Amino acid sequence: MINRKAIGYITANYTGEAVSVLTDVRPIASIPFMGRYRLIDFPLSNMANAGIKTVGLVMPGNYRSIIDHVGHGKDWMLDRKKGGLFPLPGNPYGTTKRGMRFLLRDIISNKMLFERSDKPYVVMMGSNIIFNLDLNAIIDAHEFSGAGITMVYVRAERKHTDCSSLVIGDSGRVQQVKQGCEFGDNKFMDCFIINRDLLLQIIDRYQSADYLDLFEAIAGDFSLIDVCSYEFKGLAIGIFNERTYYARSMEMLNPDVADQLFRKDRPIMTKAHDAPPAKYSAGSNATNSLISAGCQVDGTVRGSILARGVVVESGASVTNSIIMQSCVVKTGARVENAIIDKGNVIPANTELRGTPDAILVVGKNQMPA
Amino acid sequence: MSKKECIAMLLAGGQGSRLGALTSKIAKPAVSFGGKYRIIDFTLSNCANSGIDTVGVLTQYRPYRLHAYLGSGAAWDLDEQGGGISILPPYATQDGGAWYAGTADAVTQNLDYIKSHDPEYVLILSGDALYRMDYRAMLHEHIEHNADLTVAVMPVPWEDASRFGILTADDDHRILKFTEKPEKPDSNLASMGIYIFTADFLINALEEDAVDQRSSHDFGGDIIPNALAAGKRLYVHEFHGFWKDVGTIASYHETSMDLLGSHPDFDLYDYDTPIMSNDTTRPPHYIGPEGRVDDCLVSNGCKIMGTARHSIISTDAIVEERAVVEDSVLLPGAVVKSGAYVSRAILGENAVVEEGVKLGSVDTTRDTAVVGNDVVIGKGE
Repeated sequence: MINRKAIGYITANYTGEAVSVLTDVRPIASIPFMGRYRLIDFPLSNMANAGIKTVGLVMPGNYRSIIDHVGHGKDWMLDRKKGGLFPLPGNPYGTTKRGMRFLLRDIISNKMLFERSDKPYVVMMGSNIIFNLDLNAIIDAHEFSGAGITMVYVRAERKHTDCSSLVIGDSGRVQQVKQGCEFGDNKFMDCFIINRDLLLQIIDRYQSADYLDLFEAIAGDFSLIDVCSYEFKGLAIGIFNERTYYARSMEMLNPDVADQLFRKDRPIMTKAHDAPPAKYSAGSNATNSLISAGCQVDGTVRGSILARGVVVESGASVTNSIIMQSCVVKTGARVENAIIDKGNVIPANTELRGTPDAILVVGKNQMPA
Repeated sequence: MSKKECIAMLLAGGQGSRLGALTSKIAKPAVSFGGKYRIIDFTLSNCANSGIDTVGVLTQYRPYRLHAYLGSGAAWDLDEQGGGISILPPYATQDGGAWYAGTADAVTQNLDYIKSHDPEYVLILSGDALYRMDYRAMLHEHIEHNADLTVAVMPVPWEDASRFGILTADDDHRILKFTEKPEKPDSNLASMGIYIFTADFLINALEEDAVDQRSSHDFGGDIIPNALAAGKRLYVHEFHGFWKDVGTIASYHETSMDLLGSHPDFDLYDYDTPIMSNDTTRPPHYIGPEGRVDDCLVSNGCKIMGTARHSIISTDAIVEERAVVEDSVLLPGAVVKSGAYVSRAILGENAVVEEGVKLGSVDTTRDTAVVGNDVVIGKGE
């Protein structure tokens, strides 16, 4: 059903604190995840599954891979006559200042998205904490509470620096947004609902603080604005650096974990491709692995994730690794505890080996054919 | 509307009764095939890969799933302004309405559609075979021969020729004779049910056929013999690639198995002429810690916790712990529960084989076991 209450705003115009070859070549929103997805699929799908038909997507300077992936938004039912997907220009400051999320300058410069809407609420999301939630339940809770903003959080399962957490007082009011989170903290999922009128007021009132994150700018006025919280009890996965990327990806090898993210009632949608089913030869040996369409497995794959079109030749082995799109592991080659980005060909009889504590990362196109 | 050189009419209305339980609720062209495809994908992909951008799909039997699958045609890049896919079911007129009475009648009833595109040539197709064909090569020959009608044919083993519609042609490929299932064939060129007509000739022939009381309104049975008798220019286009009908349970199973092996007869991995489909966005499949997959095609969303050998595992199908599936086809959403054993079987969409059940036989002289869509097979059934 078309959502009559909310429009969406997703920011891809930021970089994490960590430096990685994975994000040298692409924005964080374009990082491939679990074989066939990219992180941007998750906020887009959450909004699509809630019937949201107008989504602004704030682009970083290096937006090529995002546009390539999302196009006109058809795969998320966002190629609309009325509404649709609006790629919005992001300010360069969003990516130069690492760790930023909801840069006020981007919100201000794209205020037309909010002015033109007739919906009462705006759902705002980042793209590096991924989850699958019933957004309409949160919009309803927000509406019922009468709050100005409702921030969605999850109990933190571990310590992180590159995110924020909520200090929550009586009756669920947010008192403060802290940088970083400890185990058990209320980790902010970079997902919140805001009244559109309030957002337009904030845009007018905080012009001079436009270099700040939205929540930094309004920090002094939380009680005035009435900022509420909503606890999400499901799975929210933060991708902050190579270590968390590897660890959270590997957790998907447990079907009970993956099923929380990939539900049939709220599908995660992505750009469609015409890859044929994966093909296993008679001598192949694959166990405890996630394998995408278009893969050809002749060798051994254990505890790994293979993206679309990966070839593992006979006598080759891939263990505890993430192999991205269209890589070829030639005969006799061995890959272990590694992340191999797109477009690499691992020559025959070579070894690429990291350790569980020091994952080997091979950047995009570093080992061309 | 701009003039088209060649448009296609795809006959997709048949029940496909020889596919038994697989077509009890779904038209044959919409039956799942090859893990992530539906039978009609192969013909539509051929159209797209041959540069044909206007395809009328004639539907009749249980069309809902087929219509839903075709959608706007975008999956085959056939969502075109002034063309693309048009779904053409039977319709009512001031004089009442009627079902499509035969292959030719179905096209006759849609002559308005053809005329609105004003094509020079019309390609007639059926959506029930597995093959890759560049229709442009056939069209090129048709134009070179200045033909009224060109029939795609393929050589079949002489001993099988009496099962087909056989065309006898001279050295210049001009058709001399057409015999349906001849007892003593004098040619081994079998009709593939693929025709290119020069549009003016097609329109005349169909209008004449429509008022012919004795006609059964069938391309093979009426239009071609009448055109031959009238001395029209009929030619064959010889096709030498892989072509197989998937219209019976036996041929469906056999053709599915042809997709397997290191050098399959039909290669889904030929990226120059990709087979396109209306993809469901399901996550990559999972092979469990005890999973074993040998010589299989496995689609997105599957969970293989047991053993799959020489089989096709379609989207979202599940093989549970200690279950074994071999020489079989699991259609989308089929589940083989733990400890069950499935051999030489086709499990319909969302079919379930309960724990510990044995289904099918390795004995190749026996019929392939078929479980219909949504059917649950428990012990003792």
